[in-house]
Amino acid sequence: MLGRFLQSVCTVAVAMVAAAASSGPPQFDVTTPRGIDFTLQNSPTSQKYLIETMPGGVALLDYNNDGLLDIFVVNGGHIGSPMTSPETFDRHDPRYWNRLYRQNRDGTFTDVTEQAGLANAGDGNYGMGVAVGDYDNDGYPDLYVTSYGRNILYHNNGNGTFTDVTAKAGVAGGWSVSAGFFDYDNDGKLDLFVTRYMEWDAQHSKDCGGNFHTYCPPGEFPRTTNILYHNRGDGTFEDVSQRSGIAAKKGHGLGVAFADYDGDGLTDIYVANDGMQQYLFHNNGNGTFTEVAMEAGAALNVDGGPLSGMGVVFQDYDNDGLPDVIVTTLPRQTYAVFHNEGHGAFTDRGLQTGVTMLSGVTAGWGVGLEDFDNDGQKDLFVAQGHVLDNVEKIDPSLHYLEPPLLALNHGDRFEPADPGTHAVWAARGAAFGDLNNDGSVDVVTTVLGGPVQVFMNRGGGGHWLTITLRGTRSNRDGLGARVQVNGQTRFATTAGSYESANDKRLHFGLGPAKTAKIEVLWPSGTHQVLNDVPANQFLEIREPERP
Amino acid sequence: MIPVAMIGLVMIHTVAIRMVTIRAVLTFALALQTISPDATQHWNAARHAEEQKQFALAVSEYRKVTELEPAFAAGFVSLGQAFMEQRDYASALVPLRRALELDSGLLPAHQLLGYALLAQGYAAEAVPHLDRAHEQGALGIAQVETGQFAEAIQNLQAELQKRPNDPDLLYYLGRASGLLSKQSVDTLLAAYPDSARAHQSMAENYFVLRQMAEAEKEYEQALTLRSDIPDLRLELGQVFAMTSRWPQAEEQFRAEVKLQPGNAEAAYRLGDALLQQGKAHEARAELERSNKLQPQMPETLYALGKAAAIDGDDSTAEKSWTSLLTVEKDTPLAAQAHFSLASLYRKQGKTAEAAAHMHEFQRLQK
Repeated sequence: MLGRFLQSVCTVAVAMVAAAASSGPPQFDVTTPRGIDFTLQNSPTSQKYLIETMPGGVALLDYNNDGLLDIFVVNGGHIGSPMTSPETFDRHDPRYWNRLYRQNRDGTFTDVTEQAGLANAGDGNYGMGVAVGDYDNDGYPDLYVTSYGRNILYHNNGNGTFTDVTAKAGVAGGWSVSAGFFDYDNDGKLDLFVTRYMEWDAQHSKDCGGNFHTYCPPGEFPRTTNILYHNRGDGTFEDVSQRSGIAAKKGHGLGVAFADYDGDGLTDIYVANDGMQQYLFHNNGNGTFTEVAMEAGAALNVDGGPLSGMGVVFQDYDNDGLPDVIVTTLPRQTYAVFHNEGHGAFTDRGLQTGVTMLSGVTAGWGVGLEDFDNDGQKDLFVAQGHVLDNVEKIDPSLHYLEPPLLALNHGDRFEPADPGTHAVWAARGAAFGDLNNDGSVDVVTTVLGGPVQVFMNRGGGGHWLTITLRGTRSNRDGLGARVQVNGQTRFATTAGSYESANDKRLHFGLGPAKTAKIEVLWPSGTHQVLNDVPANQFLEIREPERP
Repeated sequence: MIPVAMIGLVMIHTVAIRMVTIRAVLTFALALQTISPDATQHWNAARHAEEQKQFALAVSEYRKVTELEPAFAAGFVSLGQAFMEQRDYASALVPLRRALELDSGLLPAHQLLGYALLAQGYAAEAVPHLDRAHEQGALGIAQVETGQFAEAIQNLQAELQKRPNDPDLLYYLGRASGLLSKQSVDTLLAAYPDSARAHQSMAENYFVLRQMAEAEKEYEQALTLRSDIPDLRLELGQVFAMTSRWPQAEEQFRAEVKLQPGNAEAAYRLGDALLQQGKAHEARAELERSNKLQPQMPETLYALGKAAAIDGDDSTAEKSWTSLLTVEKDTPLAAQAHFSLASLYRKQGKTAEAAAHMHEFQRLQK
């Protein structure tokens, strides 16, 4: 149900930044910017509790609307060996706080965790991931933090502070991993999807590995259900997991991403499951979902094997207008590239795209498809590092610490490129956004036991366009909109990757093009077209208030 | 070392088979000899006790026979056998040795003494007795223990002709072969440590241990010394494949194909390396060549189907996977072929065929 075409109306050009026209490989400076002193405390123990391998998420959001992206990072906590009951994880100790870093005008950061009211992560909560969305449409992004324990919804008060509104909102959930805001019923209010990994607690922990103590595979523990919360619009959410059919499928959920894969105007859900088939929840449009990954060809790898799905991105890598799925996995499986063939069918194109070749011996977590060199093709970035901290003892040809993967898209085929560092880490979360507003997408990753790594992209030289959606009838941030620019397509979302939340702005590389044609299909159904939009600017597009 | 318990298992199994034969031989021996009526009475009592599986009583009765007839060799053999029936191999040794002192050519005595010695770990002492008794299976096991691997393999293979698929014999044959291989390699490494073969051998060990960096280094050294050794590049290519360095793997496999154009595996490996890099068209050519060299290899057919599907030739893909299913029915590769056919038919809109193959795939997954 497409709305009428609207020509170049209701647009506001926010900024113009000059950029060179020639396109080349991106140049990354990998640093920890001044002011960021965060170390991800996962606290590995000899007990090999699974949760130790899993944190932590990172979010890029402009929490104070000053035009600069800020960084929120989720911390794990202290784990006793063995864990006590109840385990507090020492979250009152500042070493184990989650952190919010406000970006200053000079590119440095200031830790504003305490003044923002985010120091209390809650006793008994070992941190996992983060989702970002303006659930009450007040113009300020809110935070949802997942944990082993209970999840917390922080409402952004608009004055630099946040308030824990979990109890009122009714979204505490159980142990959860990734989460994302999206509007599944297109009612203009963001709903919330939460992945859950398994039925597990310290009392039922196991130690696997024979001669070597090591973490158990997920199949050792019972599967569990994911959660779907419907936003009632009054600051509260209703758990509709059962009613919607989401709870009908149990799994080992880790990553989650959203897009409308079949063009019916409804946002669908892809869940990366660990050690089993993946799930694609098709949105039926009546408040229910049907899991269709197997029949859609997006459940198993090209040989019919299960995947240790961890991170996931749901965007169009080949500019055919249809969102594809890339799932990061463990070594020897290779990352899956589920190409959207149209008509609701996918095929694994890992071999054709070169991704199989790039991921044979690596373990991937946070993942993004972003145009790092602004050539008009989305490139691939993966935060990598094995699950097992002693994997070398089991298989000397594999490594716990791994370099990140940067692969440039050369027209349907990804080729490895220099990510700006030879360092190796046990990386987990990854978030994508233009930190310094220079028209090039940057990356922030988290590292187990290590500091945050910021990949500052010094640019590839091509022209670009970065779009902020301002929904009126749709949700305020336009999440779920399909935006097409000069033949490229992006689905507006902050979700995807692993446990992380990306910049809500939509970035497009334009290559040599100095102008762009923009088409926006809003969740409300309105189809908006803007012609001859100058390149190299941050553009806010406001949804027409009347269809 | 072979666990004693394992030898024990083999012994029990083998001795049980032999007992009937030995008993017949001894009965025949008794018929030929004259022993006193008292001794005959105890002999018959012992036989009856054995039939009733009262082995302690049998031992007691046979002991009386040997006391009454100290020159009667068969009596000592029977006493030793009665001990063995109680699994008291240590006690069996004395009467069996005495029997051989009385009659060095008495085969049942050699046979039982060989087993009794082997069961207690005296493999070297057991060998001549088992050899004399033509007990090739037990002899082979004893020779494994004494490091005579080549002879052991010969004897175990001969025994397997008589008892095909005997799990114990197969186990020891496998062990003997492995140890012989290790012995050969140890000799090679000691005598020619810097030879190409020595480096190749070390590389193979590193590969098994998944120490790929070390394996690569050893293969490179072997190639430096002798670049014409068949399979060397094939093996080095597999090191690169295991570490996902497919262009380097392709280079090695290509060199192997040049060296051995008639080697189907080399062609398959090259095809697979090309496929892993997305070079489907080139991969197809090599895989088709491999299929011609060695037709109906399931791995080749599966990879050929994949390459053809990516290359846009659905017909060849379908043919290859269908052909694979005539060779394999219930294996993981068969499951993969069903899954691939289901994907192919789904893409072609043949929903019934797709569903049928998906059903088979899911059945095999269970």
